[in-house]
Amino acid sequence: MFFAAFDLPTASPSAGLSWPDVALSFFAIVLEGTPFLLLGAIVSGLVDVFLPAGLIKDWLPRSKIHGMFTALGTGVILPLCECGALPIVQRLIRKGVPPSVAATYMLAAPALNPLAMFSTFLAFRNQDPWLMVVLRFAFSLVVLVFLGLWMVRLRPDQMLRAETLVGLTKKNQELSPNPDLIQIPRPGWSLGGLQQFTGAVIRDFTGVLLFLVIGAAVAALFSTGFNRNLLAPIGQNLILGPLAGILLAQLLCLCSSTDAFIIAAFAPFSVSAKIAFLVAGPLIDLKLYWLYRSAFPARFVHGLWIRALAATFLLTLLYAFRS
Amino acid sequence: MIDRLTRQITFFAPAAVMSAWGTVMLHTIASGHINRILSPTLRSYVLVAAVLLLVLSALHLFLYDPASDPTPSASGRWRHLIRWLVLLLPVVAASILSPSALSSTTLANRALDSTTGAIPMASMGAANNQNVQAALSADPNQPVPVEVTDLITLSQSPEQMKAFAGRKVRTVGLISNQDGSSKLVRWIMWCCAADAQPSSVALDNDISSGTKDGTQWVEVTGTAQFPSTLGHVVPKIEVDTIKPTQEPDEPYLSP
Repeated sequence: MFFAAFDLPTASPSAGLSWPDVALSFFAIVLEGTPFLLLGAIVSGLVDVFLPAGLIKDWLPRSKIHGMFTALGTGVILPLCECGALPIVQRLIRKGVPPSVAATYMLAAPALNPLAMFSTFLAFRNQDPWLMVVLRFAFSLVVLVFLGLWMVRLRPDQMLRAETLVGLTKKNQELSPNPDLIQIPRPGWSLGGLQQFTGAVIRDFTGVLLFLVIGAAVAALFSTGFNRNLLAPIGQNLILGPLAGILLAQLLCLCSSTDAFIIAAFAPFSVSAKIAFLVAGPLIDLKLYWLYRSAFPARFVHGLWIRALAATFLLTLLYAFRS
Repeated sequence: MIDRLTRQITFFAPAAVMSAWGTVMLHTIASGHINRILSPTLRSYVLVAAVLLLVLSALHLFLYDPASDPTPSASGRWRHLIRWLVLLLPVVAASILSPSALSSTTLANRALDSTTGAIPMASMGAANNQNVQAALSADPNQPVPVEVTDLITLSQSPEQMKAFAGRKVRTVGLISNQDGSSKLVRWIMWCCAADAQPSSVALDNDISSGTKDGTQWVEVTGTAQFPSTLGHVVPKIEVDTIKPTQEPDEPYLSP
């Protein structure tokens, strides 16, 4: 049996910040995310050129609520990381998928990801792994249903940035998220098709990359400069523990397949604090906030942020009181 | 004149940004700096992305359709320019400024206080267990090559700890001096340097000749000990020799 521990007995809370380390962390986050973002942009370009808008509409359930539950299921069986999901989600919205359904998939893909559940099991192998996996999945699902039910009530103009809503749709009505779509012949395999594909990939890639750069800068700053031991004294507290877990998730901005390994080693946190960390982190954090801003307006993202964190806090608080 | 300049920027900027990113990525791979940044599985993805970005830059220059990209309005020109600069400058600057190892400052921020108890990291099982078995069965008269994490693994098992205490060991790591005590540190990386966590063993005396910033690689030979403080074992090396050494090919330990 292998055991490793992260220890450093003399860590002082006033350690400060190393700017070269921020540069290293920033560089690492953007290099890690860029291949997935590019993959997402390429898939988005292929969808743009080859997939008729009507087809997606035919696939989707007629009711938005059914669509929302379909998106949750798709999040489990078609996992995607956050960076890769964003260009595809924006393209699907322009192809006529209701924004609430597309956004539910965007949130569900990293949060309900089987890989995230598997890594949670591995990370907590010596600390009641099934409990952690079941709580993570169940709480994530409850929060996602709550967020989905909120989003289906919103109008597209409340959820989308002006340019996603109308910017590129003035010339081409098919790009409109308006449900009354007009089908236009796809260029398919032709020079025009390649031209449209290249243009779409580059626009989607650079459009989201800008927000990845901003998000990575913020994430690098906090994941490098924030002293994790500052939260240790409140990690076991019934009420403050889950809050500390949520706060740490917001600051560290870890991917959902990695976060369990980091928090499993964090002995000062109670189970509810760790679950709060694992549920809130994949839904939104300081990096995801900026990535979401590439598609959605600030007002919507702020609403999503508050609701996601409040729901996570309430659930983990209930669990803390029960156990 | 300004309109023409804006149109030129609109045309060239995407190709410039994507080729810059592709070149930075290829340079990071070619120089080996990528080993300090990403875990082995993700490195090949960066290589593929770099090549694709260069291909996309060329396709953009040949196939660009001005009609698909509306010229920004007068008020949007600055935003347009700043957007391309944000895409271009930070990544180039970070590739130049990023150091070879995370410093002691970040070590203190990312480390967890061991007095609260060490939690086993089960995911890192098989490989390290092999190391430990090999170390236990090695020739007791020769220093055994071990990793910092092997000593921590041993410290979690009373039987193995007892069998190994007093053995001569040889190991490499980054030297860190803080608050009058010295440690030998190895960083463990899951995906990238942003999620790297430090793992350390104590050295028996303050190695004041070492650098303070935690970026100096050293090879330490000495005797492994497992002293217990308030019921918590912190592995320690009683140092015989300590000398600067080359950075290992893989500076981070992977799970």
